[in-house]
Amino acid sequence: MSITVRIPLFLRKFTGGQKVVEVEGKTIGECIENLEFKFPEIKKNLRDKEGALYNFWNIYLNSASSYPEGLSKPVKDGDELNIIALIAGG
Amino acid sequence: MGTGDELLRYERQIMIDGFGIEGQEKLKMAKVVIAGAGGLGGIISIYLVTAGIGKIRLIDYDHVELSNLNRQILYADKDIGKIKVEIAREKLKSLNKDSQVEAIKETITEDNVLKLVDGYDLIVDAMDNFSTRFILNKVAVQKKIPLFHGAVRDFEGRATTIVPGQTPCLNCLYPQISEPGISPVIGVAPAIIGSIQATEVIKHIVGTGVLLTNRLLIYDGLDMEFMEIQIKRNPDCKVCYHLWESKI
Repeated sequence: MSITVRIPLFLRKFTGGQKVVEVEGKTIGECIENLEFKFPEIKKNLRDKEGALYNFWNIYLNSASSYPEGLSKPVKDGDELNIIALIAGG
Repeated sequence: MGTGDELLRYERQIMIDGFGIEGQEKLKMAKVVIAGAGGLGGIISIYLVTAGIGKIRLIDYDHVELSNLNRQILYADKDIGKIKVEIAREKLKSLNKDSQVEAIKETITEDNVLKLVDGYDLIVDAMDNFSTRFILNKVAVQKKIPLFHGAVRDFEGRATTIVPGQTPCLNCLYPQISEPGISPVIGVAPAIIGSIQATEVIKHIVGTGVLLTNRLLIYDGLDMEFMEIQIKRNPDCKVCYHLWESKI
């Protein structure tokens, strides 16, 4: 299954500048793990030392919130994930 | 409308379909709280005052610093060290004497927020931190006052319009966050997001167009892209769940 992940500006330096990456997985969590496998440097910017996603990242599936399932939410071929950073400046 | 001067001042916007003198009267009667007089708050207040909003309450506790001047366009070198909201009030009065601008030099807290928004129709979130944004969100939900959210970092921005009981609230959108530190930002980012927030306020008051409700606008200035995320209420939201109970 091929899932498209749109990479936010801040993480593109870890994907060689790629804005869109194709990954595989049956859930959002598996897709993120596959992204980390392809681009290992991205992991420490996505997860804390315990392996949990930093809570300033929000992951959206096909432009809709993945809440409440989050990483366990199933995905299907052709789906698109967006990793969106929380920003706070004013 | 009152005087011929007013008609002339607002002539170009009164001409807009769906606006008219009636829309201008609504702006004149409106009372808007702008929370934050920084990069976002500066742009928002300038455009709301020049559009003819009747009464604005601008809240910020801070003084002008040199590091503000790349993006906070209400202020200049001569203002460094002075109280932001006082400088802002003078600048805004010089732009439109008919708009009443009240300057409040206070930190927004759980204890004073009810008093700070009392009697006002709308709240604009122009803060630089989420802890205060959540205080504003809570009082907006409590009093069912629309909240216009905006945030910036680097060349990026976010915006959404929250109408309690009709849209997700800020806590639905971000149920768990850790407060980011100081945000790097280029001045044009708050210029764009602040303009979007001001547009939303004007549309809401006049009653025209389609609001940025149930959608989070993602602005990426480096790639010059706008993207939208559909946002939904969180049924477990501890802030706004009670507004939905009667609708389920």
